[in-house]
Amino acid sequence: MDYGHPLRFGTLVAAASGTPEHAVKLARLSEELGFGLIAFQDQPYRPDLLDTWTLLAWVAARTRTIHLSAGALNVPMRPPAVLARAAASLDLLSGGRLGLALGAGDDRDEMAASGAVPISPGALGEAIDVVRGIWSSDRTPLRVAGEHYRLDGAERGPAPAHNIPIWVGGHDPGTLRLIGRQADGWMASIDPMEPGDVRAAQALIDEAAAEAGRDPREIRRFAVIPEFDGPGGRWVEALLPLVLDEGVSTILLRTDDPGALRRFADEVAPAVCGAVAAGRSSQGTAVRTVPSAFVRARRHPGIDYDAIPASLADLAVEPGDAGYAAVRSTYMRGGSPGLVLRPRTAREVADAVAFARRQPVKLSIRSGGHGISGRSTNRGGIIIDLGQLDQIEVVDKETRRVRIGPGARWGQVAAALAPYGWALSSGDYGGVGVGGLATSGGIGWLARRHGLTIDHLRAVELVLADGTLTRADETHNPGLFWAVRGAGANFGIVTAFEFEADEVGDVGFGRLFFDASDTAAFLRGWGAAVEAAPRDLTSFLIMGPPRPGQPVVAQVMVVVDSDDPDTIIDRIQPLADVAPLLDHVIQRVPYAQIMEVPPGGHNGQGEPVSRSGLVGHLTPEFAAAAADLIMGGDTYFFQIRSVGGAVSDVPPEATAYAHRSANFQVTALGASRSRLDRAWDAMSHHMSGLYINFETDLRPERLDDAYPPGTLARLRALKRRYDPDNVFRDNFNITG
Amino acid sequence: MPDYGHDLIFGSFITPAAAAPQQVVGLARATEAAGLDLATFQDHPYQAAFLDTWTLLSYVASQTERIHVSANVLNLPLRPPAVLARAAASLDLLSGGRFELGLGAGGFWDAIGAMGGRRLTPGQGVRALSEAIDVIRGIWDVDNPARFQVDGTYYQVNGAKRGPAPAHGIGIWLGAYKPKMLRLTGAKADGWLPSLPYMPGGLREITESNAIIDAAAEEAGRDPAAVRRLLNIGGRFGPGSERFLSGPPEQWVEQLAVLTLEYGFSGYILMGDDPAALQIFGQEVAPALRELVAAERRSPVGSEAGR
Repeated sequence: MDYGHPLRFGTLVAAASGTPEHAVKLARLSEELGFGLIAFQDQPYRPDLLDTWTLLAWVAARTRTIHLSAGALNVPMRPPAVLARAAASLDLLSGGRLGLALGAGDDRDEMAASGAVPISPGALGEAIDVVRGIWSSDRTPLRVAGEHYRLDGAERGPAPAHNIPIWVGGHDPGTLRLIGRQADGWMASIDPMEPGDVRAAQALIDEAAAEAGRDPREIRRFAVIPEFDGPGGRWVEALLPLVLDEGVSTILLRTDDPGALRRFADEVAPAVCGAVAAGRSSQGTAVRTVPSAFVRARRHPGIDYDAIPASLADLAVEPGDAGYAAVRSTYMRGGSPGLVLRPRTAREVADAVAFARRQPVKLSIRSGGHGISGRSTNRGGIIIDLGQLDQIEVVDKETRRVRIGPGARWGQVAAALAPYGWALSSGDYGGVGVGGLATSGGIGWLARRHGLTIDHLRAVELVLADGTLTRADETHNPGLFWAVRGAGANFGIVTAFEFEADEVGDVGFGRLFFDASDTAAFLRGWGAAVEAAPRDLTSFLIMGPPRPGQPVVAQVMVVVDSDDPDTIIDRIQPLADVAPLLDHVIQRVPYAQIMEVPPGGHNGQGEPVSRSGLVGHLTPEFAAAAADLIMGGDTYFFQIRSVGGAVSDVPPEATAYAHRSANFQVTALGASRSRLDRAWDAMSHHMSGLYINFETDLRPERLDDAYPPGTLARLRALKRRYDPDNVFRDNFNITG
Repeated sequence: MPDYGHDLIFGSFITPAAAAPQQVVGLARATEAAGLDLATFQDHPYQAAFLDTWTLLSYVASQTERIHVSANVLNLPLRPPAVLARAAASLDLLSGGRFELGLGAGGFWDAIGAMGGRRLTPGQGVRALSEAIDVIRGIWDVDNPARFQVDGTYYQVNGAKRGPAPAHGIGIWLGAYKPKMLRLTGAKADGWLPSLPYMPGGLREITESNAIIDAAAEEAGRDPAAVRRLLNIGGRFGPGSERFLSGPPEQWVEQLAVLTLEYGFSGYILMGDDPAALQIFGQEVAPALRELVAAERRSPVGSEAGR
């Protein structure tokens, strides 16, 4: 009897309240010695012990890798709904290091003396339902109508960072059957020096598991072994049959003695590991972890989950996983991917690409998930989420060269560069990820003074479709470097960007609200004022359909790249004179402050509908058409960003972003694709080109709007060279 | 009577957002870096958008060195008092005496009931809290040789072992607004911890509440000064204005000095989750207010005016 689980070792500590630091020391020592788990005994009625939950959270903050558990938590004294949220919280704080061991408690008299009501194995099962129900991402309120535990419409959440395993302690048949039906592990004291009938207990668990339609291999088996003394070799001999013949795969050493920990780690653990590996290989036992029936039932056809590379398996998220709700959707789009891979290194990105290529499903690449075009999630496919690659480092202070991972957010970049007095103009929102923006353009708050984000790019490192890691700059792979700056998503996955930052200190930041009832005149006037302004001014305008009984309001945001109050006012004044001003705020702030965003994930729903166009000037004809669009109700969000200035200094052929002469980028978001397309198509002759990040129209003509013929021909030639099989095709694919 | 003469303490009131755990911890660290004395977190265990406050308190205490931590305030109905008392003592021991127990009777009874908790009327909730304080103090009272017995309507202890004892005298601070809660505060608590935005009666309500607490304390044979008065406050730093706590730090100092010398408060906890504001609060408001209050307390004229 061997379920083939990877072999693990842990320690079980009774944390004396008289010497609180000792338990913390044992936890850190366990981590240092390579134990995978530290568990603290939980008897909340004992004054000589520290409170286990408090200690677990304390220790989580003082360790980095070791997993944490109780052995096991006393459920009658810890209400399960609160415990579930506490567990999810600790899992989030610790980066997914919690295992939740539960038990009915062993000293009924002491529990009763402290005011607790003892519970049966059945009630423990109800508690497990409560805990899993709280963790679930199901949108309905949680109701549990148990005999002991009743929940009547509780909120669900937060979701933990990983699928917290629930392990149950106990020896009696009722508890063993409960474990077979509901638990992810069995935790029991077993003295290997006195061989007992572990097999009978295992059989009972397996039988109950099979009856419940589960694979017995879903259930990990723990042995808590007593005080460790005597020669290490005897222990190796005693532990070996426990693993190879009796199904145990996690051995918890019960001790409070650092010396015993060290000796076990030196003399016993490595020898048992070696002997188990040898034994398993001679018995032909495959070592693997079997996901729960719940997880397996939610897998998508077409993805070979068992073949996920080992380097990616621990952070991969699939639909049955606790963390799925947090990664499935993006800012603008509801998604239901079959698998989200989260590589930590360029090498792991290559592993992810190699794996994804073999699966006959869509492949989407995500950096921050903020893209308006919504291409960073999908339905049923694979996402390579680059959020872990979020390093920001200064390479050379002299040349202001910085190296940034694709998963960093622009708000973090701004905060990291601020102490140097530097900034990189990106977009208008700090929550946007680096990768998606820096491979397409980057129309930001300092665009007219400092150009596009891609204009600051000096080199990239990327993983190509064939898994090659390569570097591209003006001298190495210059064609690839050209293509990455405007059509990067077609060529590979950039794992590091090297930018030259600008010197930027405090800036003027104004928000002006206008009565734009004469909408066309307002747009013309704002456009003319922006074009007439020196380059240190960049301005974005947002409008939507007027609310009933309200005037048409335009919100204008303006950044002046100057810390001189007079200059700031001088620059903004002509804009303020364009129409009646309803309200305004003008501040001098650090650039990083404009990019500060509240934290939070994405929970987009449905499909984004947006169109983009580039225009030279806000002519009377364009302004009239735009006013009709805004007043017509087919767009709920209409934005114009100023470009021009330094953006136009770069020759059109220098990068794959070619529409350099435009002074404005126009975006409209709509609720109905057909209605927005009809309205937009009718005014598209006023525009010349588009910005791919704000365009969701999938009609092939858009490719010709995005790239002039010469640019597109060069891109296609490069695409045949770098991605001949069109692996990277889900985001503005350039193959015709 | 006010000005009970306590040293001033300053803290932060941090939203325990589950969406950004490390940012929450970061605000606690920013609290310490700003020179403040205390980081506090609201506790609504029925709300899925929040991290569990107890877990967070322990994690934050472990990641800081100097500041005290407290819930603001802890939801008693979902946290059984005997376990809570031992957990509080444990955290106080682990942190070297940096834990305080902000405690509330609970208010959102439907949400508490939905979590499997007991639904009580507000009056029952106050009595339950009173019993819970007896349980908690009884657990901490390790030198008491008597059998530990609480025969409450809501909480019972029947011979449980006492202990562990905390590392310092943990303050029990109650979030109280209504007369019954205020009387309980005077009779049994070490602190009163209301939120200014929840006191529509403003200064008059404060004066009346202090009087109720003081009378209840005296009735229980306690010195009213045994109850520290702390206040959750919101506001903004910026150009001067007519509004309370909306202006430059000097304006805050003047206004908080009035609350200290005339209305009895000696602890101020800033809401808003804004690290820049915490920095100003800790670096500019706190030292200037301490200095001003110390000067006023030394001056006989000032103290007379204060009374």
